[in-house]
Amino acid sequence: MKSAVTTVISSADASGRFPTLSDIESVKGSFDRASARLESAETLAANIDRFTSESLDYVYGNNSYDQANKDKCSRDINHYLRLINYCLVTGGTGPLDEWGIAGMREVIRAQQLPTVAYIEALTFIRDKVNVPGEMSQQAATEFKSLLDYLINALA
Amino acid sequence: MLDAFSRAVVTADSKGAPLGRADLVSLRKYVADANKRIDATLAITQNVSCIAADAVSGMVCENTGLTQPGGHCYPTRRMAACLRDGEIILRYVSYALLAGDPSVLDDRCINGLKETYLALGVPLANAVRAIEIMKIATVAIMTETNTGRKMFEGINSGSGADCKDIASEAASYFDRVIDALS
Repeated sequence: MKSAVTTVISSADASGRFPTLSDIESVKGSFDRASARLESAETLAANIDRFTSESLDYVYGNNSYDQANKDKCSRDINHYLRLINYCLVTGGTGPLDEWGIAGMREVIRAQQLPTVAYIEALTFIRDKVNVPGEMSQQAATEFKSLLDYLINALA
Repeated sequence: MLDAFSRAVVTADSKGAPLGRADLVSLRKYVADANKRIDATLAITQNVSCIAADAVSGMVCENTGLTQPGGHCYPTRRMAACLRDGEIILRYVSYALLAGDPSVLDDRCINGLKETYLALGVPLANAVRAIEIMKIATVAIMTETNTGRKMFEGINSGSGADCKDIASEAASYFDRVIDALS
């Protein structure tokens, strides 16, 4: 699983060297951002069902999508938010890449999924994050950048 | 390869749940102790040759036959291989310590080590003894209970006494190697 620390260790191991000062500096950099990430992950975990249902009500509220798909879409958004929670914890995009984005295109094409609805829902969540009511500015930045990462992958 | 964070993620994924407040407690401690962890890693990387050389010398002193003709550390080529292996084990322990998770040590060092040593005719009891001495030396340097230069004066964590928990984590990684060879 790719994270800030494992990336550094992999490259050190590939050249057979001990962690150098610059390796340690880069690990330290990720530790410095960690408290904002963990705050964001905690808020997301506590509100994951609310974020999902609010965004789904918004997207399916104007009748532009087949209502029969709402439950499935809700399940998928919940799944993606869980992966974002994991990314916030690891400090890298590893969980989204390995469990969410790898193979996503093929599945979407085979199932003819309405990716536009997903994008709308994720954009809604991104724009509705309440700073500082729900999370701090820094935590929101971490959360939003991962939402953007996923939106770009879906688009 | 996993670190403390991705280990938590893999565990949570098997349950299909996000990581909430309760799951994040131990990770917050990991972040809070980051400076100690970094110092402890430096304690290994700055003393590698000293730790490995002392351990191999200690092992030979306890079994002087090793460096005699017919012994396992004779000629120097084999002694050098022994020193090299000591450094390799230290390197993987330093990775595991930095990551806060033993998976890199398990996957890339321990897996198949015993079989390799058996096939090459390396005496396991002596290897285990050398690793034990490395463990004792590493813990002593981290907790500043060693004789000679003290590590932490003026750098991050302040004193070796604060690094007790991290030092016992490091000791547990050495124990993993010892258990695998025993």
